[in-house]
Amino acid sequence: SIDVLMPSDKEKDPDVIPGDSSLLTLRIRKKALERREETIIVDRACRQETLAYEMESHAIGKRPDNPTDLVEEGELLLTLNIFYPVIFQKHKDHKPYQTVLVLGSQKLTELRDSISCVSDLQIGGEFSSQPDQAPEHISKDLYKSAFFYFEGIFYNDKRYPECRDLSRTIIEWSESHDRGYGNLQSVKMEDYTFNDLSLKIGFPYLFCHQGNCEHIIIITDIRLIHHDDCLDRNLYPLLTKKHWLCTRKCFVCKMYTARWVTNKDSLAPEDPCFFCDVCFRMLHYDAEGNKLGEFLAYPYVDPGIFN
Amino acid sequence: MSSVPGLQADCEELLGAFQEADTVRFERFAELWRERRFHTIFYGRIRALERNKLTKKTLELAQQYFLPPYAFQIRVGALYLLYGLYNTQLCQPKQKIRIALKDWPEIQRFQQDLIDSQHYDAAYIFRTLRLARAFHFTAMPKLLNYRTRKKIQENEFKEEFKDPSNRVNSLITNDVLEELMNIHDHYQKMKCVISADRSQPDKALSLIKDDFVVTLKNITLEHQEWQQNRMKLFLNAKETDEASNKKEEETLLESEGSERANALARIKYRSYSAVVEVS
Repeated sequence: SIDVLMPSDKEKDPDVIPGDSSLLTLRIRKKALERREETIIVDRACRQETLAYEMESHAIGKRPDNPTDLVEEGELLLTLNIFYPVIFQKHKDHKPYQTVLVLGSQKLTELRDSISCVSDLQIGGEFSSQPDQAPEHISKDLYKSAFFYFEGIFYNDKRYPECRDLSRTIIEWSESHDRGYGNLQSVKMEDYTFNDLSLKIGFPYLFCHQGNCEHIIIITDIRLIHHDDCLDRNLYPLLTKKHWLCTRKCFVCKMYTARWVTNKDSLAPEDPCFFCDVCFRMLHYDAEGNKLGEFLAYPYVDPGIFN
Repeated sequence: MSSVPGLQADCEELLGAFQEADTVRFERFAELWRERRFHTIFYGRIRALERNKLTKKTLELAQQYFLPPYAFQIRVGALYLLYGLYNTQLCQPKQKIRIALKDWPEIQRFQQDLIDSQHYDAAYIFRTLRLARAFHFTAMPKLLNYRTRKKIQENEFKEEFKDPSNRVNSLITNDVLEELMNIHDHYQKMKCVISADRSQPDKALSLIKDDFVVTLKNITLEHQEWQQNRMKLFLNAKETDEASNKKEEETLLESEGSERANALARIKYRSYSAVVEVS
């Protein structure tokens, strides 16, 4: 016979560390807290911390309205880290990444659609002479090919007719000389789910789109779905963690996000220089819309656009 | 932060006290827990995000003591510790205990052992945790994270907690001895069959010692006793400045050793009777 002798009999305030504790953990923590009280004036969660916590926990326990969308028992849940392709100097020690939760029965194409990369939104072309005619086509619509590389097999996106097999070049290269890469194959992405793959945890894999925008993917965890997880299939792939990238503001007003970048601009103090839409037009064009000065202007999409 | 400062020391201290108490009853563990007010380990003004991380790390640390190569008593203590930590955590919804797939058969064997040895309180506690859905069934025991470690942390386990690793015993197990016995019998019978005198093997065929299996058993038993004595000496030397008696630990080691000794003695008895039959 077991009485549930739950040791927490006294209702004490969990914020206060008891003074006479015999636990080393608490003594250390108390010192750290005291140090924090001395140095920090306002001890509150900053917005990045709130965002991170919200993202991690917003989907916990959710149930779908439609019972067919319910995730079944025995479903696998994978945690993937998708790294950003930016190579800044300050990211040498730890590359920024976003964490996505994916169900085992989901297709690779669903993951591909959920990866939001700023290179998908780029607009190509120089538009200094016709700033109003910046086209609506973003790179995502123009260059739809993409592939995943897992364990020696390239999974190409072949859903649309304009998708090309980007991995063919790599396969031809590896077969041309005996480079020791074994047999690389190429298959269609839409035919496979995560349950069909054999994966290594912690091993870096690749996702490539736009021809040369490469993201490293690392699988950090595979586990069975749990009662407390989000059980709504529509919410997966679920983004749980995201790196906060600072947006570049306009050089002039320092308030709005930059939408244009200029090179070789005689009117700008630095090269390249970023402007928001309003300041760009006010500086570079007169009242009739004629171009003033020499410059090259490109539409700019900031990496922090997904914040 | 890659580990909670001071946590390992606190857990080891609690488990050490439990080991010294030389019992596997939950009441005793609960007393030790209440003495130290272990539930306060989550106190301190910690915000939600940090609290989740902290609780995860605490459960991960406690979970390590639940698996082999730790001694039986330590594993039961770890089970109680996990139960206590899981129920007193302040996170909402509760953080779960991660168990890797490869460890499940071992844990199920452990549970069967508990039931067989009639430690029903421990078995009940394990069952309660299962029913409360406290476990995550994962592929790998540790959740990976990607920060460059400044130095590689060596996880030092306390020597006293470990089962004395008896390599000789794990090689010459009961099964191996039984097999050897059977093969030896068979061999003797074959020799009898092909020799002229049906009742005993030819003198020319006696190429091995007839009782080598028994000798092997004796040697392994001797080795085990030697190792136990060495452990005792080691422990005695380690704590010569303390006045407390080390009888509990010696009896613990002896009781574990005596299980194996009993098993070996059983085989010894059977082999003696078998030897009589053959010759």
